[in-house]
Amino acid sequence: MEEDEAIHGDFYLLAKSYFDCREYRRAAHVLRDQTGKKSVFLRCYALYLAGEKRKEEEMIELEGPLGKSDAVNRELVSLERELATLCKNNTIDPFGLYLYGLVLKEKGNENLARKVLVESVNSYPWNWSAWSELQSLCTTVDILNGLNLSNHWMKEFFLASIYQELRMHNESLSKYENLQGMFTFSNYIQAQIAKARYSLREFEQVEVIFEDLLRNDPYRVEDMDTYSNVLYTKECFSALSYLAHRVIMTDKYRPESCCIIGNYYSLKGQHEKSVVYFRRALKLNKNYLSAWTLMGHEYVEMKNTPAAVDAYRRAVDINPRDYRAWYGLGQAYEMMGMPHYALHYFRKSVFFQPIDSRLWIAMAQCYESEQLHMLEEAIKCYKRAANCNDTEAIALHRLAMLHRELDQPEEAAFYYKKDLERMEAEEREGPNLVEALMFLATHYKTQKKFEEAEVYCTRLLDYTGPERETAKSLLRGMRIAQSGFPSMDVEHFHP
Amino acid sequence: MAGVVKAPGAFAITPHKVSVCILVNIYASPSQISVPFPFSSVSQHNRLGLYLLALTKSCDDILEPKLDQLINQLREIGGLLDHWLTDHVTSRLSSLSSPDDLFNFFNELRETLGGPDSGVMEDDQVILDPNSNLGMFLRRCILAFNLLTFEGICHLLTNIGIYCKEAISSCSSYELRRVDDSGNDFESLSEDENMDLNLVFKKINEEMEARKRATEQVSFHLHLPKELSTLVEDIEVSADPKSEHNDKGRESSSYASGELLRDVDPNGGVFLLTNWQIQGYLMEQADAIEKHGSSFTLNAFELTLRQLQKLAPELHRVHFLRYLNNLYHDDYFSALENLHRYFDYSAGTEGFDFVPPAGCNSFGRYEIALLCLGMMHFHFGHPKKALEVLTEAVRVSQQHSNDTCLAYTLAAMCNLLSEIGFSTTSGILGSPFSPMISVGTSLSVQQQLFVLLKGSLKRAESLKLKQLVAANHLAMAKFDLTHVQRPLLSFGPKTSMKLRTCPIIVCKELRSGYHLISEFCCEGSTMTADGAFSTAWLKNLQKPMGSLVLSQDNGSRNNYNPFLFFTQPSSIPGSVMQLVGSSYLHRATAWEIYGSAPLARANALVYATCFADASSSSDAALVHVKLIQHLAVFKGYKEAFAALKTAEEKFLCVSKSRILIMKLQLLHERALHRGHLKLAQQVCDELGVLASSVTAVDMELKTEASLRHARTLLAAKQFSQAAAVAHSLFCMCYKFNLQVESATVLLLLAEIHMKSGNAVVGLPYALASLSYCQTFNLDLLRASATLTLAELWLSLGSNHAKTALTLLHGAFPMILGHGGLELCARAYITEAKCYLSDPSFSVSKNPELVLDPLRQAADELQALEHHELMAEAFYLMAIVFDKLGQPEQREEAACSFKNHVMSLDHPHDVEDPIQSDTLLNA
Repeated sequence: MEEDEAIHGDFYLLAKSYFDCREYRRAAHVLRDQTGKKSVFLRCYALYLAGEKRKEEEMIELEGPLGKSDAVNRELVSLERELATLCKNNTIDPFGLYLYGLVLKEKGNENLARKVLVESVNSYPWNWSAWSELQSLCTTVDILNGLNLSNHWMKEFFLASIYQELRMHNESLSKYENLQGMFTFSNYIQAQIAKARYSLREFEQVEVIFEDLLRNDPYRVEDMDTYSNVLYTKECFSALSYLAHRVIMTDKYRPESCCIIGNYYSLKGQHEKSVVYFRRALKLNKNYLSAWTLMGHEYVEMKNTPAAVDAYRRAVDINPRDYRAWYGLGQAYEMMGMPHYALHYFRKSVFFQPIDSRLWIAMAQCYESEQLHMLEEAIKCYKRAANCNDTEAIALHRLAMLHRELDQPEEAAFYYKKDLERMEAEEREGPNLVEALMFLATHYKTQKKFEEAEVYCTRLLDYTGPERETAKSLLRGMRIAQSGFPSMDVEHFHP
Repeated sequence: MAGVVKAPGAFAITPHKVSVCILVNIYASPSQISVPFPFSSVSQHNRLGLYLLALTKSCDDILEPKLDQLINQLREIGGLLDHWLTDHVTSRLSSLSSPDDLFNFFNELRETLGGPDSGVMEDDQVILDPNSNLGMFLRRCILAFNLLTFEGICHLLTNIGIYCKEAISSCSSYELRRVDDSGNDFESLSEDENMDLNLVFKKINEEMEARKRATEQVSFHLHLPKELSTLVEDIEVSADPKSEHNDKGRESSSYASGELLRDVDPNGGVFLLTNWQIQGYLMEQADAIEKHGSSFTLNAFELTLRQLQKLAPELHRVHFLRYLNNLYHDDYFSALENLHRYFDYSAGTEGFDFVPPAGCNSFGRYEIALLCLGMMHFHFGHPKKALEVLTEAVRVSQQHSNDTCLAYTLAAMCNLLSEIGFSTTSGILGSPFSPMISVGTSLSVQQQLFVLLKGSLKRAESLKLKQLVAANHLAMAKFDLTHVQRPLLSFGPKTSMKLRTCPIIVCKELRSGYHLISEFCCEGSTMTADGAFSTAWLKNLQKPMGSLVLSQDNGSRNNYNPFLFFTQPSSIPGSVMQLVGSSYLHRATAWEIYGSAPLARANALVYATCFADASSSSDAALVHVKLIQHLAVFKGYKEAFAALKTAEEKFLCVSKSRILIMKLQLLHERALHRGHLKLAQQVCDELGVLASSVTAVDMELKTEASLRHARTLLAAKQFSQAAAVAHSLFCMCYKFNLQVESATVLLLLAEIHMKSGNAVVGLPYALASLSYCQTFNLDLLRASATLTLAELWLSLGSNHAKTALTLLHGAFPMILGHGGLELCARAYITEAKCYLSDPSFSVSKNPELVLDPLRQAADELQALEHHELMAEAFYLMAIVFDKLGQPEQREEAACSFKNHVMSLDHPHDVEDPIQSDTLLNA
């Protein structure tokens, strides 16, 4: 490795110490005359960070009456100029390239930034920061495929991560699982797998993974918000409170920690407190997507729809692909009795997540609402919902009911049968089962398919209530029709 | 809402405000004389006061003016004082070099204000009333300064430095081109606006950063090898070590640094005007978008909006403006997106026209979102969707008891129903109307519309929404014009109803719109008018007229009111003007339908002259269309096409659909007259294409196109086809209740049958058309139906000539008084024919009785180039001359006859420059 003296020189060490103490400008000043590649990088990077720090401060100082003023990193121009020169003279190392890419990205020159960052990761693949910058610049699959990346195992990490960002969860999961074969003890990979599985809604496995992860890495705060979401969905009060306690002891001023506490309060039904913590999370990171969405949910619970709408809209404007926020917007408007208006948002949400049955069901319910009463469209939505693994089994039942309402007995019978099969498979019982049996029995009877009708009638006899009596009389009627003989006492035959 | 927003009135202190404060201090310096020191006359003093007032109120931009702009304006204002004023302002500004200077400055300012008990004051003493506009401004500045943190004061100080430096850099260039028009800066700015958005934006950003970079000195920069900076392209600011001294010795060396910053873009330190001024600006822009439609510059305004959004992310009105901009440029998806975004953020409770409800109802006004969405769908030609949304809007406004919104929604629905032909609304207008339309579900669309109109009008009246009342009256007039009022219930005691439209009612409705103009002040916000007024005042300052005034001031130096010299902007809000104007348009249309050409023309002219400023471009185009059509009918095509040319120039950049349609109509008519049947068919097809455009089917245009198609077929003597087209057209008109059009179609059918030689079949059609005309008071159409009837009688045989003549004479007053050239000519020819075919009439006894009308007819037809009728007239003339034994004149007439027949048969022999190039343009 060819480097000049400066690396080992005192200047560099002094600057590095200043840098570690976060005295960036001081560090840069020390290195003002150094020309070694490392020194140049450290100087530029220190300046960049100094500018960022000042920018953050100014953002608060300069806030106008209508929101933020345009605070900018004032070092960008000079940094870009200098790095461009270095780049042109080919006297730049991969780290310099990374910084150059960063600066270009901030200045909005995305194409060049991508090019520079690709060059950086190709010549030095172990710089994850460069990869993550590159990831944030790849917003579509097409852009990703256009990148000219040389093969390296770091590329696999990158791809796995970006697939997750692009909602290609299965691809992402398989990449991570491959990687896990190589890096068996990596907490990072484990957490990423959990996140991917969370997006695929496999909550059981996710919980197991996170429990394991926390055993190995007890002071971890990163990604724990996902874990808290899982606990929330599964309504594990104590586990969630334990997790909240744990992260607050580790670091209370992390957005993730605040989010976990917000989730906890939400589960307890204390929505005002929950909002306070989500707000804190957002103060720490204004672009924290899930906090905006979750806060929207809280406002919905508190029946403060305008605030909910506002929160959701902010989430959507940060990431227009966030289907949960679109869904929330739709729900909020539906709550206000504006189903037609809500449809716009539901359409958006199913567009971004067409495999989630809940979204389709929500949209169908919107169409079904008294004001719109567009049953044909509702049926279409329920069909989509039924096709994408409707865990709560609402869709089939609703489909059957709607078809019955529209006087389409064939279709209704088809869906009742399907629903019935499903309930049998899951061993569920309830009014829906009775209703299905009842409809099928009468339907087959009118169709003169007495055998099938008899089967359903007999099953109905297992239940109490008026249906049992109806079933009896149906059976009786069928016997008469079938044999032409006078009726026999059915009760006599049945235990 | 969720985002933490400071109070909308929040007020940030900026360098520009500091300089205004300095000026206010000069204006009201605590002295003892009536005309304080630097001023030489009261008028001069007043002028500065007016200028300051305008400065704090105008809303022509989103950004505060730069110092150099301020200085330029001061030059216009100050007259002889300009040097003193600008020097004072700049020296005062540059003397502010430490935070403590700022503290002292604001303390000084406080002395300018009179105390709350400033009742005891000596004569002639100048003291600023703390409650006056300027006093309030000063107080707000002082308050804002007092609220600043120390960091804020430091930023203010830096910004003042930048503000001065920029001015000085452009000031030196100003000295060079001082002779130039002072409007130069603005022109160069507007040039930039046309460039690519992103490009400009990037450039601005870069240069802003570069400028900041150059002003703030960081030592490392200077240690870079010199070559580096020269190698990289696009660098305008050189890292000159000389500038290192600038920060310290700003006051002394500031002129020198002007050299350095010369190339810097003037959009340097950007500060927004006050919230109030920006809202005013946005409202003005919204008006402008609506007025100019698609001719409004999309990109330039989008650039401004983006900048505004970046500078004030919590100002959500920007999204609404963006929606409007997209709407009028037919960008459906962006419009939809922005509309939703706006209402998500603002919940319909933003803007200074919003008065927060007294109660605890703070749950947003999302029904307005529905209303807007409905109108958007309507605009984009999805009437069904629009109706669905509006129905929801009605329901939600009822739920939230927002009566105002309800009234507006109902009006929008009426508009929708009357504009778009629905054959049935069943399934669309559903349950929510049951409380309103409880009469029954079997109502036709027209009846529903009537009920809606009545309800909407009543609501608007009870809510005292003046503009809406006026608009509703207009809609009502429109309804009365074309619909016979029948009782809604068909049972019960039958009162004697005359089944006719009533022109008096129409007139009444139109008149009741005028009350608006005297009462508008109760509604619309006067604040906007105020702001617009100030803007206009300031803008006039930039015009050369300003210097004209100035020179007068220098010369005569007497008291004058500066307002008198400027074109005073009207104090009536544009929307009111527009409404009143459109009542004139309605009148013109009404008279057109009733058949009074002069009155229609007079009303159109009134509109074109008095309301041209306030009208939207589509309305203006409509008036032009009406006037040109009038010209074509009464003066012939030459004049009409000449007028059309000027109109086309005027509406050049607008999507000239109306003008285009009219052009096609004129071309078609002329082609028919000249016998260019192929061309006529071509033009007709083009009209048909326009009618079936993507943006909803325009029923009016559709009927027009197929009517013309039938007429072309008739001219081509394909009678059965023509009859079939006309027949299906009549069916359509009947289905969609287009009754006025039905009358025309029936008349056409009668004509078709007459020309095909089936006069007996034609008679009932003509009679049916007549009865339609009677019902709707279509007097002119009735006269022409009578004429056709006479022609029909005549063609039944010579023994009916007397009947025909009687009929014709009955219609003559109307035809000659109001009819166009063609109609009159036809009437004359028919009259002549009647006489000629009457066996009891002898030509030799009374030749002039026949010859006179024929000559008149030939004269009038000349302008129309109507070969067929001309040929007929000359033929008849030749016969008459033959009978009279005047062979010479007979030959002459026969020759003309031959010419016309020839040109009718060989239409392409005639060269026509206009036709070819106009069609190309079309």
